[in-house]
Amino acid sequence: MPVADMAAAASNTLVQAATRSAFPGHTLTEFLAAHDRLTKAGYGVAVPRSFMQAAPDVSRLVGTDEALALAPAASRIAIRSSPRTAAVFLDLAVPMSRRLGTPQAFSSWVQLVISLVNAAPESVEPLLARAEMLDERLGLDGLKAWVQSGLRLGGGDERKRQQYFSLEMVEAQRLLERYAGEETFQSLESELRAGHRALWGRMPPLREALPLGKGHAELRASFGGGVVQLPAGFSGYRRRERSVYKAALAHIGAHMAYGGSSFQVGQLKPLQIAVVSLIEDARVEYLAMREMPGLSRLWLPFHDVSPDGMATAPSLFARLARALLDPDFPIRHGWVQKGVTMFAEGIEQIGNPALSRHIGNILGNDLGQTRVQFNARNYVVQPAYRDDNLGLWDLPPEPNAPPQQHQFEINTFDRRETETQDSPQKRKQGQPDQAHDSGIEAVTSARVEPSTGRVVAHLPEYDFTAGIERPDWVTVKEYEPGPGDPLFWHKLKERQAVLLARIGEMVRAASLGRARRLKRQAEGGALDLDATIEAAINLRSGKMPDLNVYEGVSRPERSIAVHLLLDTSQSTENPVEAAGASVISLLLEASAVLAHAMDRLGDPLAITAFSSDGRDDLRVVHVKRFEDELTPLTGMALSGLRAGYSTRIGSAIRYAGAKLAKIPCHRRLVLVVTDGEPSDVDVSDPDYLAMDAKRAVQSLNASGIDVFCIALGHAAGQRHGEIFSRRGFLQLDRLDALPAKLPALYLRMAR
Amino acid sequence: MTTSPLLDAYRLTEKPKWYPTGEEVAQFTVAYSVRLPVMLKGPTGCGKTRFVEHMASRLDRPLVTVSCHEDMTASDLVGRYLLGPDGTIWQDGPLTLAVRHGGICYLDEIVEARQDTTVIIHALTDDRRILPLEKKGELVRAHPDFQLVISYNPGYQSVLKDLKESTKQRFCALDFDYPAAEIETSIVAAEAGIPSSTAAVLVKIGEKSRNLRGQGLSEGASTRMLIHTGRLMQQGLTLPEACRLAMITPITDDPDMRAALEAAVDACS
Repeated sequence: MPVADMAAAASNTLVQAATRSAFPGHTLTEFLAAHDRLTKAGYGVAVPRSFMQAAPDVSRLVGTDEALALAPAASRIAIRSSPRTAAVFLDLAVPMSRRLGTPQAFSSWVQLVISLVNAAPESVEPLLARAEMLDERLGLDGLKAWVQSGLRLGGGDERKRQQYFSLEMVEAQRLLERYAGEETFQSLESELRAGHRALWGRMPPLREALPLGKGHAELRASFGGGVVQLPAGFSGYRRRERSVYKAALAHIGAHMAYGGSSFQVGQLKPLQIAVVSLIEDARVEYLAMREMPGLSRLWLPFHDVSPDGMATAPSLFARLARALLDPDFPIRHGWVQKGVTMFAEGIEQIGNPALSRHIGNILGNDLGQTRVQFNARNYVVQPAYRDDNLGLWDLPPEPNAPPQQHQFEINTFDRRETETQDSPQKRKQGQPDQAHDSGIEAVTSARVEPSTGRVVAHLPEYDFTAGIERPDWVTVKEYEPGPGDPLFWHKLKERQAVLLARIGEMVRAASLGRARRLKRQAEGGALDLDATIEAAINLRSGKMPDLNVYEGVSRPERSIAVHLLLDTSQSTENPVEAAGASVISLLLEASAVLAHAMDRLGDPLAITAFSSDGRDDLRVVHVKRFEDELTPLTGMALSGLRAGYSTRIGSAIRYAGAKLAKIPCHRRLVLVVTDGEPSDVDVSDPDYLAMDAKRAVQSLNASGIDVFCIALGHAAGQRHGEIFSRRGFLQLDRLDALPAKLPALYLRMAR
Repeated sequence: MTTSPLLDAYRLTEKPKWYPTGEEVAQFTVAYSVRLPVMLKGPTGCGKTRFVEHMASRLDRPLVTVSCHEDMTASDLVGRYLLGPDGTIWQDGPLTLAVRHGGICYLDEIVEARQDTTVIIHALTDDRRILPLEKKGELVRAHPDFQLVISYNPGYQSVLKDLKESTKQRFCALDFDYPAAEIETSIVAAEAGIPSSTAAVLVKIGEKSRNLRGQGLSEGASTRMLIHTGRLMQQGLTLPEACRLAMITPITDDPDMRAALEAAVDACS
């Protein structure tokens, strides 16, 4: 049908009037043509209908061009994903254009959806389903970053991506909070820990409680079993996250400082349990505020119940809680009044938890007599900062018993146990958490089969596209070395006798460390007072003066520690052209020679071999730790290294840096020996790991640790210059020279 | 007393006040009566220097104080030849002065000095009680009233700095720490001139900050710091302002630690 006819036909419909005003002049024709194309494309009726409905409004709200551009976008979505998704997209167009307001913002949102449909068609629908919420929290830029992170996280895995975009993945939620600039448990954790320790002088193990499934009550803080659990977020307290977390932790601190042993449930009904808990909350807060009056400013703002209204159980509870804390709160209900009066009368015994039980029993009983409904299943402690009270009660193990039993099944991240050796990213959040002082045992090192690693640390990784460092992104697992050769040292000494002797000479000549003042020098920056006076005395008495009257600064004594990182990725299996040996065997020999030299110098050395199999498995093998002596076992461990897997170099550098940070030396050096550029199975973007490695090097430099790389093989195609900076690496073409070069290089650097 | 007038400049004119926290005054007096060298250990700002001053004035001895530093040489302690109009003059160093004329020599923060400098005190701190002046060719026998006192802060020393075992073992040692809350409150109130209710709040904040010792702070707020804070408040600053100025900002740069300290101030006020 010619366009003119179509326009004529359309003019008969009612829609026409509104549409015509939205598409002035020739754009109306374009609009109708676009609609026609959608109709004939076989997407079903929903797509063209949605387009017909959405486009005029979009045109009015953000612009005609943007409205017309909806058609090809919808078409793209219909083809890549499904016509249903395309219709959802079109239905969203109006509310989104209202939100975004400008043509630029709207079209970049459309662009984002299109780029997602190209990369991950299955994820568009879940994204669109949450589009308004996401925009509300993230804004356009945040949304872009969040989508990109999702694509990276999901990698090629369709199912993972879908979980991410439907927010079923914990990390999706985390990143969402992060990009939204919201404070989360993770971002506040170290501050909270420090604050709690300052206030109470101790820090029980602190965990993040995993979110409950749908349909469960809101999650509250909890402190059963000596472990404090805080929810990953408090809904309804956006922008006030810091205060609600601080309030919650301070409340738990009050319980721990002033609470007694657990209450016995006995014959108490759920209602009484709730009231006793409420009184106990008020009691410990009272005591805490007597010690630290400023806490009331932290807690009171969360008590926002009004003195009137329906006398439901939750409302009465909230009113009583507030009345006990806030003397200015008007009391308009007899039951609340009774509670306040009893509490005031009991103030003499405020230090005794039995008071709570006594008052709670009576009040609970009173309330039970009235017609007030109490639903234990749905009951959530108010206000939000207060804990779920599970820590107060000695609850029986039967499944049918107490009201909030289901919350016992909360799983927790037990990240602490793995952090006893390193904490991630010095965390700024620095020190390995003092899980020790809470009686949680560090994982003891058990001998592990070579095939199964032991998780020893979680490390951050830098995503240059999003410009953020993702905490705890990489899991470090420690593996035992394979079976090695007990005669390794012996054979090495035979094979490399000349080299070892030469290095011995070089070692004797080397020396470095902290600067030291030298007296009586022939030249120097300042006069040596004693020598000068002596010289002047000699001059006056007609003797020949000693002209060495200056003082200088000595070449420093040695103080250097090295963490040698050996890349044992699959590629090191390759033979070296000339020598016939494999890269890894030369690597071993070179490390052994270096270890030998450093041992003679008495410099601390650790040797760690690394490879990786995705971000969940950064494989490290400790050949020699700083505290280990150089023994035949070291040789066995070295010769037991096997090549395999990939090269996640940035994480390995961070790991080595964390170990090195604890060594008290003036110069600390991570020496990386690698034969290729960073790569890993779960990363497709070649820049990603290189940029991460660069970032790792920079952050180590910032903390006073040097990183130097020895790059094996031909320079072509390698990017070590970029990662380690031009002066931070050495290209070694002739690999068979490595055993001689490595110690020489070390001595040169160590000067 | 037999002390030479040469040390008069080192006599304390006022008697510095000391608030006893234990038996330290009696113990120091006993150690002095047998002229044993004493080492005072404790965190910064807990009153080590004040204690020596108090004891010197109590025992009516001149006090020669030397703040040790890395570049200090043996000559800086013992003395050196200087040029005068008529030739050379030997100038006694502070240590020699105290040894010769019977004062108390106080080497503050001794570990800051290099270990080879500190060995010159060895002969002084055993039963020989002599100080060899190598350059002058003189052997100074210590005046019967002479005593050596050193101070030492075991907390903040890096692993690189410590006393030699042979040095350590020559001394009696008194442990100092921040005083108990009531005593500290009275100290802060008296020294800063503020009401003891305010001083009690400051002391509470100080205690909270000491909870973070080794957990992100190398030291908590010292008594001295609390007194400074109190003085600022006495001049009209509010508690949070004074705490920020004299305590939180000086003590740490870590934002988490600052937040924790701010929270402590907030909770206690």
